[in-house]
Amino acid sequence: MSSMTMKPSPSENPLARRGVSAGRIVKYLAIALALFWSLAPVYWMLATSFKTELEATRIDPTLIPVHPTLANYIGLGGQSLPFFAFFVNSVISCLATAIIAVVIATPAAYALSRARFRLRGTISYSVLLFRMLPLVVMLAPLYLLLLNVQLLDSVGGLIVGFTTFGLPFAVWMMKSFIDAVPIEVEEAARVDGYPRWQILLRVVTPLILPGLLTTGTFVFMEAWNNLIYPLTFMTTMDKQTLPAALVLTFTGQFKTDWGGMMAASTVTTLPLMIAFFAVQRSMVRGLTSGAVAGA
Amino acid sequence: MSATSVERPVKPASARKNAERVPWIDWMVLPTVVVLAVVIGYPVVYTLVLSATKYNMLDMVPPKYIGGANYRHLFTDPIFWTSLRNTAIYTFGSVIISSLLGLTLALLTESLTGWRFRSVRALLLTPWAVPFVVVAFLFRYMYLQNGGVINAVLLDLGLIDKPVLWLNNSYLALPAIMVANIWAMMPFFFLLLSAALAAIPNEVIESARIDRAGTWSMVFQIKLPFLRSALFISSLLMIISNFNDFAKIWAMTQGGPGYSTTTLVVYVYRLAFENFNFGYASAIGVVWLVLLLVFALVYLRAVRVKA
Repeated sequence: MSSMTMKPSPSENPLARRGVSAGRIVKYLAIALALFWSLAPVYWMLATSFKTELEATRIDPTLIPVHPTLANYIGLGGQSLPFFAFFVNSVISCLATAIIAVVIATPAAYALSRARFRLRGTISYSVLLFRMLPLVVMLAPLYLLLLNVQLLDSVGGLIVGFTTFGLPFAVWMMKSFIDAVPIEVEEAARVDGYPRWQILLRVVTPLILPGLLTTGTFVFMEAWNNLIYPLTFMTTMDKQTLPAALVLTFTGQFKTDWGGMMAASTVTTLPLMIAFFAVQRSMVRGLTSGAVAGA
Repeated sequence: MSATSVERPVKPASARKNAERVPWIDWMVLPTVVVLAVVIGYPVVYTLVLSATKYNMLDMVPPKYIGGANYRHLFTDPIFWTSLRNTAIYTFGSVIISSLLGLTLALLTESLTGWRFRSVRALLLTPWAVPFVVVAFLFRYMYLQNGGVINAVLLDLGLIDKPVLWLNNSYLALPAIMVANIWAMMPFFFLLLSAALAAIPNEVIESARIDRAGTWSMVFQIKLPFLRSALFISSLLMIISNFNDFAKIWAMTQGGPGYSTTTLVVYVYRLAFENFNFGYASAIGVVWLVLLLVFALVYLRAVRVKA
């Protein structure tokens, strides 16, 4: 056996192997516990969303819905509250923010990554600094600004709000993606005589496409998560986003209707879940390169 | 590709940089700069101005200059200090615990490979994809006194003998929200740290193994130093996002009972949009901004020095 000739690794020693397997059991138990901790609340949300109002608040909760019902979901569609409108509002405002942020940020990120102009350092730092600003500091002036340009209570105003955190983040993340593209690729294309704008469109863009998608998804997720801006800037109920609508309606319709609440929560979670798992892989890459480059 | 580059004489890097200077590429930062100046620069400057005024939207009178009065008031405002303390506990408590849990999980799952690792990772990341508001309501539901699953399970296990009012108790409310926060945040640390673990050069691990490093010394002396920068940067990002966290607290307790879960965000929001006291709210915002900047500078410097 060829492995016998090599230096024996610890796992080939029978004594050590027993130690490893004891450690293994502990390890797998810990992983199982972590999986339970991560997934149980999500399961609970799903299970409750199929329970009747009565069953959802039983003193001895049922693990699996006894009388599963779709009534909670159907209830979201009809009745007094325009849940479909909330959903559409959220999708439109978050999607628009993601697209706008990426479109504006990418050229800037490219310039900050590749060009060597005088203000480059200052701008890079400012972007990072803006990323750290507490949103609430800007809340009052932003409110007054939107009031003056009559964008309060409109999707446009909401997008302006979301841009305050979406754009700095997009620049920062796109820069780390572009930094990772070897400059030699561009130089080779330049040597071949392509004009610079064509290199940007045909060589650089395809290479950073995963980065664009990841960054866009991240901005989308952050906007979807945001509560303070819609709560402050939107005054008409029909124009609210899903998270804000959940908070506002909870005092009314869902006060005791936890089944309905969990159905609404599931609907709120679904788009984020889909977006998240769609880009999960390139997200790992983007975040890590960001974390490494940031240091 | 390689053929052409061989033909050309290799210039020093600096000369190459100068040769490729294309002015319009510099200008590509312009849209970002303009947008940020409008949506962030202007509000920040305006906050500074408002913070020196007495301005209540409901009074229907324009802002009146009062100098540093808002700032003086702040020092004697007990709610400000309570919310500052709550913010610190909430932020650092959540970040420290979830980074340690994330680190442990990253180390535990490190030896898994292939589809096993991919599926475990995907499942462990699930909480990250749950919107903050949903996290809040989900935990609020699970914390219920009657019908809440957490009380039911703890009663069944005999750990408590009557249901606990998790969110209505001024001592338990903040830790209870932190549990929800840690649940939502841990995947971020897990993901970043396991990616950083995978990036440790194989030779390092191999040579440590040849030197017969034990499991613990392998973790503490070999792996942790490699994770330091990932750990610091991810913590910084999460500290910032926790300073800003409004959704979870607002949807779970609205800052109550009393002021026991009121953080700075919640307090400023209340001042500005329940009392419409924009002047004082802005002053708190400015102080907070300064605190955050000082913290970020000290933190980044500490990372630099250590690295």
